[in-house]
Amino acid sequence: MASSSSNNGSSGANQLLLFVIVGKNEPLYEAEFHKTGTAGASDSVTRQNYFVLHSALDLVEKAAWTTNNMYLKVVDKVNQQQVSTYLTAGNIKFMLLHGGRSEDSIKNFFSDVYELYVKLSMNPFYRYDTPIASKSFDTRVRAVARRYLS
Amino acid sequence: MSKSSAAANGHALWQKMPKANAELFALTYGTLVTELVRDYETTEEINEQLEKMGYSIGVRCVDEFLAKADQAGMTIPSCRAFGETAEVLAKTGFRMFLGISVEVQMISDSSFSLLIYENPLSLFVELPADPKWKDLHYSNLYCGILRGSLEQVNLKVECTFVKDVLRGDDVNEIRVELKEVLQDGAGEEYQEE
Repeated sequence: MASSSSNNGSSGANQLLLFVIVGKNEPLYEAEFHKTGTAGASDSVTRQNYFVLHSALDLVEKAAWTTNNMYLKVVDKVNQQQVSTYLTAGNIKFMLLHGGRSEDSIKNFFSDVYELYVKLSMNPFYRYDTPIASKSFDTRVRAVARRYLS
Repeated sequence: MSKSSAAANGHALWQKMPKANAELFALTYGTLVTELVRDYETTEEINEQLEKMGYSIGVRCVDEFLAKADQAGMTIPSCRAFGETAEVLAKTGFRMFLGISVEVQMISDSSFSLLIYENPLSLFVELPADPKWKDLHYSNLYCGILRGSLEQVNLKVECTFVKDVLRGDDVNEIRVELKEVLQDGAGEEYQEE
């Protein structure tokens, strides 16, 4: 991979979390969570992260066939990072790129975000499978992330 | 009619009404509003349509209100002042149909405000961030209902939403103004010869 990221790669991996909600055709929501104290990731690291998540999508499809659960645990491991996924009832994928967190905290994070997502989709002004622009959703997701993932 | 008896009547009538699922109710209203949003261009037109629908509902509501009260053996006397109308509407009417309590704030002899704290219609609703939605009165149906039901008892009123929780205020406020007291609308044919 690009050598410029090697400095940030191992030290940043534990602290950088990328959370993406993917619909049928496109990502609907993206959020990066940084541990307090670290600077934001450099541009190349960010793009690399998106690439990793994108390439994990195929593996998500594969994993979805194997189990009835919504929580698909870790579907891909690359460098030091792991991709965990949660599949909603409407086939929307919640994907989290992380550098090793406990299964329980990730599972709780996904359940809480799922609840927020369901409340959002009850809003008559939100159309299913469209990008999520609601600020309050964003604030609440970040609060949940702070609670479970840092 | 005293305030406490209005509230007690409202509570008793609410117990007797058939109930519907609150989420189903809110979601149905939500799809109604989004359909209107698709059909009409400006928020004024949407507000007007909601008010018209509310008017048709209100016309029927008042009959049901008086009939059910009669059935339950309670008498709702004719109001001697507009303030009494306000109390009956807020404490008995809204309570009976929606199960919510509504506060009354008298502004003058011919106008008052209804303060609604919990609005069952706007469960889960968040207005999109676009500034053109600022003028949309999501629950404008209430204004129509008030106008329709009061017109059936010969009070011509105008109702508007003054404050709306969906737009950031802390309470929903509907201003009701009495325009005129109509003559009995039965028409000349029915008058005694």
